[in-house]
Amino acid sequence: MRFCPGCGAALGEAAFVQEYWVAADRHVVCWCPACSVMCTVVLAAALVGTEPEH
Amino acid sequence: MLSAEKNERLTRVGPGTPMGELLRRYWWPVATHDMATRVPVKRRLLGEDLVLFRDGSGTVGLLAEQCPHRRAALWLGCTEEEGLRCGYHGWRFSATGECLEQPGEPADSTFKNRIRATAYPVQELGGLVFAYLGPLPAPELPRYDLFVWDDAWRDIGHAELPCNFVQIMENSVDPYHVEWLHGRYGSFLRELGGAAAPLPVVTKKHVKVAFEVFEHGILKRRVLEGHTEEDEDWKVGHPLVFPHMLRVGAAGLATFQIRVPIDDENTWHVWYQTYRPDGGAPPQSSIPVYEIPLVDERGEYLRDYVDGQDIVAWITQGRISDRTKEHLGRSDLGVIMLRKLYAEQMDAVARGEDPLCTYREPHDVIDLPMERDKFGSAVEFRQLWTRESSVRYSPIRDQVLELFGDPVPAWT
Repeated sequence: MRFCPGCGAALGEAAFVQEYWVAADRHVVCWCPACSVMCTVVLAAALVGTEPEH
Repeated sequence: MLSAEKNERLTRVGPGTPMGELLRRYWWPVATHDMATRVPVKRRLLGEDLVLFRDGSGTVGLLAEQCPHRRAALWLGCTEEEGLRCGYHGWRFSATGECLEQPGEPADSTFKNRIRATAYPVQELGGLVFAYLGPLPAPELPRYDLFVWDDAWRDIGHAELPCNFVQIMENSVDPYHVEWLHGRYGSFLRELGGAAAPLPVVTKKHVKVAFEVFEHGILKRRVLEGHTEEDEDWKVGHPLVFPHMLRVGAAGLATFQIRVPIDDENTWHVWYQTYRPDGGAPPQSSIPVYEIPLVDERGEYLRDYVDGQDIVAWITQGRISDRTKEHLGRSDLGVIMLRKLYAEQMDAVARGEDPLCTYREPHDVIDLPMERDKFGSAVEFRQLWTRESSVRYSPIRDQVLELFGDPVPAWT
């Protein structure tokens, strides 16, 4: 992750970017010192939808 | 995975580094009370070499190791009624760094008025000597409850561990390791040793864990198998006290594990115990201090008790854990939260702000939360901790067992 998903600022030296895994999905925790937003970007191996009852 | 650059930023503690600048905003234990004597001793903190001494008037001083004159070490010195005299040429320095005397210089010289030793503020509290290496004015020394209770016994164990302090701190936001490192691995060692029963308490499975940043650091909660959110492990929890301590224990037995960065690759670990049964403990004349051994007589790391298992897990990650090669999962979210908190607080310092847990106002005591019934039972936890933690090396362990009067557990 090079840019904050919240404000678009560059995630530079002071930013926090940490990858972890949930099953086959890559999760990247980002904290942006410019806007203070912390978020998780999920690089999903697959998108799973839930079919409502019908 | 953490990038190499972020790992450097997280782990370097020397002057001028982002983490070093953050950590210099806090008071650090630099010695136990018995180290501050008329005999000057070498200490190292945050990558800086220092000399600790107590002069004849009782004043404790902490100076940079090397004499400003010809750079000899000041631990090669003698304490005088006031200050420390360099053993090489006799220059004498006060605890605040003033050069008081230059015996070889002309009597009418004012040279000494233009010379200072680098000196850092020190304070004594609860049997520890605390030092502050940051910009002045120094904040207040936090008077955390365990350091100031007047109706508790204390003892202090300590050891120098050959690894960076962050990997030790990460252990304190990693609840799952308890049931595996201490529960399964600890019981495995007991099996090999012929013990019939696994260890109690630490073998309980985690159902869920939670972490929240709060005024003292990170509050850690857990629900164990057979327990509910009504139990104190969840309702109260216990804190990682930012940036350097874990508070852990149960009713009457409250401890700090203090991780003091000696430098990037070494940590002085202090196990600070308080024993405070209901109604308080009788007066204690002095606080015992003892070293925690790392290896047995064959040079093998001691792993047959809880803290020994932790120590080996920390050390074997390497001097500085290579986080570019790690693979974190959902069970590591506490570790991620701690790293993010360090990053956030480094940024706060860079912006000129006081970081978390900086106290500018005088105060009597800072009370910290901690569950009384840990893992479901205070008595069971005390029975375990007084036998299977570093307390087993305490010179007052037998008196502590008597103080609480807990029954001898069946699993011993």
